[in-house]
Amino acid sequence: MIEKIGALWPEIILFAAACIVMVVGLSPTAAVRRLCAPLAGAALIVAGIVAWFTTPAAHGPLPMLPLFGKTLVAGVGVLLALLLAGTPDREYESAIARGATGYDPIRANRAEFWAFFLFSLTGAMLCAGADDLIWLFLALELTSLPTYIMVAVSTGRNRSMEAAVKYFFLGALGAAVFLYGFTLLYGGTGTTRLFAPAGEPSIASILAAQAAGPGINAVAMTGLVLSFLGVCFKIAAVPMHFYTPDVYQGASSAVAGFLAFVPKAAGFFTILILAGAAGWWGSSPVDAGGSLPQPLHQIVLIVAILTMSVGNALAVVQSSAKRMLAYSSIAHSGYMLVGVVAGPGPANAPYTSNGVAAVLFYLLSYGVMNLGAFAVLASLERRRADGSADEADDVNDLKGLCATRPLLGWTLVLSVVGLLGLPPLLGFWAKLPLFTSAISSNEIGLVIVLGLNSAVAAYYYLRLASVALLESPELTNDTVRSSPFPARAVAGLASAVGIVLLAAWPLNQWAMQGGRYQRVEPLKAAEGTPPARVDAGAPAAR
Amino acid sequence: MPTLLADTDVGSYLPILLLITMAIVFAIANLAASNLIGPRRTGHVKGMTYESGMNPVGTARKRFNVRFYLIAMVFLVFDIEIIFLYPWAVTFPNIDHAVADGAVWLGRILFFLLTTVVAYVYGYRKGVFRFD
Repeated sequence: MIEKIGALWPEIILFAAACIVMVVGLSPTAAVRRLCAPLAGAALIVAGIVAWFTTPAAHGPLPMLPLFGKTLVAGVGVLLALLLAGTPDREYESAIARGATGYDPIRANRAEFWAFFLFSLTGAMLCAGADDLIWLFLALELTSLPTYIMVAVSTGRNRSMEAAVKYFFLGALGAAVFLYGFTLLYGGTGTTRLFAPAGEPSIASILAAQAAGPGINAVAMTGLVLSFLGVCFKIAAVPMHFYTPDVYQGASSAVAGFLAFVPKAAGFFTILILAGAAGWWGSSPVDAGGSLPQPLHQIVLIVAILTMSVGNALAVVQSSAKRMLAYSSIAHSGYMLVGVVAGPGPANAPYTSNGVAAVLFYLLSYGVMNLGAFAVLASLERRRADGSADEADDVNDLKGLCATRPLLGWTLVLSVVGLLGLPPLLGFWAKLPLFTSAISSNEIGLVIVLGLNSAVAAYYYLRLASVALLESPELTNDTVRSSPFPARAVAGLASAVGIVLLAAWPLNQWAMQGGRYQRVEPLKAAEGTPPARVDAGAPAAR
Repeated sequence: MPTLLADTDVGSYLPILLLITMAIVFAIANLAASNLIGPRRTGHVKGMTYESGMNPVGTARKRFNVRFYLIAMVFLVFDIEIIFLYPWAVTFPNIDHAVADGAVWLGRILFFLLTTVVAYVYGYRKGVFRFD
């Protein structure tokens, strides 16, 4: 217990910061209230540094995943804190500044917004370090529950409320599905511990023993499949993707950027942990490398193919930039699932054939690139007839952006070209290992679908880029103007720099560390008692 | 190897099935019986709202201040806190000092209490207790 707490310092720091922010953000003095975002950012920087130095998990198939995942969440979290600047209470705060109204804490949402932001990131970090089904469930919910409220308060308009209600109910459905999966997994293995020291029962070691013997039993397999399908909601993969465009469009651009990364990261940590517990065993437990146990492998494969195809096909026909990025977020989940199908490869496999490392590096790259695109959208707004501002959403709002606002324009071009995966940029170095790992695990069909989808994606990403780069700006009455929060543009600029430079920095070696896979030993039956059927009806018959 | 749901005999769930069937049959039988053999008398007193034997005073659909809802939420925080304190208080005097450190146990529950204090301070700053 104590050693578990020792690995939880990043989460404890974020939790404490959330408590402080929750109280500070309710101050009647505007200057004190504005400390929320800097406090959250500072806490994330400290948590990231602490996460970098936490000891890796002592056991389990992916010992370095907690370390990598927590540092990744904190690192992208700092950029997200910049992106989310000024989002909560925007109109209320400006009314107070004008002197139109006094400050009433019951009507303000700033404290809650920033506290929930930190709670959600805490949940994502806890997912990365989970070693028990109950812990995993609570961590996933801690990631998701705050996001529903963040969506609801993000713009103060009705469409945000609608988006939040949609998101909440579908989220509850997703949670119900993976919770049912978890109970079946418990029923099929008899323990909620995912990983345990060698020789002790855990889901990983029991599933390994079953796979080595008569095969994973039907209840446990159903549990694994249902858990995976439920978590598909978090990563916006196909059977559970319907909410994505509506919610991203209803939420403010900054919160949509948050939704595209944090629940997705938590979902992929969960999928990797569950897949690691099931083991990339292959046809026989003796051979190195191999794939997930059979029905699960087939289902992840089908979901991956459907997710990237549906995401890309529907993104092509969108005229709203936010909906386009939402469908692109679905498609990128499909790409990352390719790495889950490919698996970590044989022992001591190089980076190019380790699918888990590819997923982790892609998650990092996607977080950075996607943040750039959403930061540009969040930095632009249209004036409405009543003087209030709406965030830019239509693709036409971006016309000639490189000419009018070169910094934002080039950030957008770099982000979308990065998301497309053009060679010198980060997106290419992220997508390459997905291809190579899938090839080395003989998933040739999947590689072909991945290649075709990357080609389809070029159509809409290049459309976004060409609108900003080549077309001349439109001058109409409702002119697009910059938003008054320079921090958002700074977030975009930081991610643009990241897209160019991170590929040069050996971050893939770090992802390689994070994706290190060690086989879980099958649980040996206790001496004398074979792991036979337990007949509840006849306990005495031995 | 622990006992698995997958390995248990479905027949061992028979008593539960029997109990569910009995519950359903009992409920339906009671409704049917009172419908068939019960007397049917109606009237003013019979149709009156039941208020533990008193004559009803006023309407039940009164509006009350929405702040009571917030008070109830704050109450819930402390209610849950006390629920968690009970098992801790029962276990704490009996912990084995060779295995567990008493100070750590106390520290944990104090940390838990601290989180509820934060909730209280939040509610106070939010103006939950202001009635004007």
